[in-house]
Amino acid sequence: MKENALRLTIGGAVFENPVFLASGPAGYGTEYTGLVDLERVGAIVTKTITLDPRAGNPGRRLRETTAGLLNSIGLENVGARRFFSEKLPALIDAGVRPVVSLAAGDRDEFTELLAVVAGSKVVDAVELNLSCPNVEKGGMAVGTDRELIKAYVSLAKEALGAVAVIAKLTPNVTDITDLARAAEEAGADGITAINTIVGMDIVTESAEPFFTRVVAGLSGPAILPVALEAVWRVSRAVSIPVLGSGGISSIDDARKFFMAGASAVQIGTALFYDSDLPVSIVEALERDGVPPAIMR
Amino acid sequence: MHDLRKGRFTARIKRNERLSASSYLVVLERPAGFSDAEPGHFISIRVIDSAVPLLMRPFSLLDLTDDSILLLVKVVGTGSRILAAKVPGDSVDIAGPLGGNTFPGPGGGNALFVAGGTGLASMIFAARTWNARGTVGDSFLFYGAGCEDELLYSLIEEDFKAVECSTLDGSAGFHGDVVSLCEEKLKNGISADILYSCGPSGMVRALEEKVACHFREHYTSLEAVMACGVGACRGCTVPIRSVDETAFRTVCSDGTVFRAREIAWEEWDE
Repeated sequence: MKENALRLTIGGAVFENPVFLASGPAGYGTEYTGLVDLERVGAIVTKTITLDPRAGNPGRRLRETTAGLLNSIGLENVGARRFFSEKLPALIDAGVRPVVSLAAGDRDEFTELLAVVAGSKVVDAVELNLSCPNVEKGGMAVGTDRELIKAYVSLAKEALGAVAVIAKLTPNVTDITDLARAAEEAGADGITAINTIVGMDIVTESAEPFFTRVVAGLSGPAILPVALEAVWRVSRAVSIPVLGSGGISSIDDARKFFMAGASAVQIGTALFYDSDLPVSIVEALERDGVPPAIMR
Repeated sequence: MHDLRKGRFTARIKRNERLSASSYLVVLERPAGFSDAEPGHFISIRVIDSAVPLLMRPFSLLDLTDDSILLLVKVVGTGSRILAAKVPGDSVDIAGPLGGNTFPGPGGGNALFVAGGTGLASMIFAARTWNARGTVGDSFLFYGAGCEDELLYSLIEEDFKAVECSTLDGSAGFHGDVVSLCEEKLKNGISADILYSCGPSGMVRALEEKVACHFREHYTSLEAVMACGVGACRGCTVPIRSVDETAFRTVCSDGTVFRAREIAWEEWDE
């Protein structure tokens, strides 16, 4: 039998190909039944879950910008218990390879959440959302502090044993490589770069911020050059796999991330307007292989 | 909950007819495999293969026949302007049918449909669907627009027993908004059991507050800015009245149809 050249290993977790759906836009995966051939993607990074359900942010949550999208969802999610009893089994039944995205407002909540994850016994890879700009506590507040990143990654590694731990980082810092190194030092098995870039909009007629929380996270093609540069730098700073994410809208965009040094790519906002893209990238990689990283 | 009904297709434009200064009847060829739809379902259209505008645009179904998907397109921004400029033979990528809750039928009872602007499309689709099935008694349409030019009479076939119109500038029909028209007409009594509505949120809220008490139930199909269209991104949420705290539902996958009294209108910043 021919060996799968696209197979990817992160920590102890094996993926059939390096094309993932990004946390957030991908929801709990099964929403896209009929639109995306979910079995064909390497993994779905599920919508970030917290210990308890979260209603998310009030007010408007979406604002299209030039080639981009601002969102202020605020980690709306069903909570860990319902996720593991209902959403995750549905995903696994659909033949999907999940990576479970986690966030917490503080260390106590995170410890409890990790206990629920460890108890589920079906998860072999998690992504720590250390970078959501749309919540007051946790999220980016953790992910901009190298000591907190180390603490959260260490907690996850201790609680989850052999489960692969991927740290998703924010670009809204002076030096993302310092944070990537902190995650690696604490035992992270992979780095996802990048989460959304903080942005805002103003309604000129009312002279009011568009979003209730004023700030929001920018995604989409507009942020691709920023993400690409972050992946290029991070992949040179750490020796663990880097998962590139940020504005990928075409097969060629995905190739650029591999050339920048990514071991995998994540498709997020493009799901909203080109749900065929993830499988198209998988097919292109099957046909042409994964492009090698550039040397510079 | 997540069925196999929806799909992604390329659809050819069969016809594009300008109806008024800003409104168009766009008829797509119904792609093979495009499922049947219920009143309250919608489709999303990628109007151009480009990053500007980025997102697909949601449109209510005006009608769905064996070979056509009919849409009412009003130019309100870049996306609708590009779609309105399409000519027969052009193609667009679509996803659909999308949506969760649809309009419950009137079960043989009489129905009042209230439409504001492009909300006309889903009111026509509901009435037409139920007329064809024989599941609606007498159906009445109260329909409001800004001015006479924007009253799209030509879209209305034998869908309603009676139609009353209003214009904000008084150029045709009742002078005022469609909610005031409803209040005026209801003074004389109207024999309808269920109120169905689709239009701007201000209209639907006013209907619920001033008119809905005359009916057994008020169902409305909401409009919202959407990203995924399938309930994944949680971007198009509407606040729902609940006992303990605010709960959110998505217009795209929990709706588009809601009981109007369930919505926490005072908290909704559309």
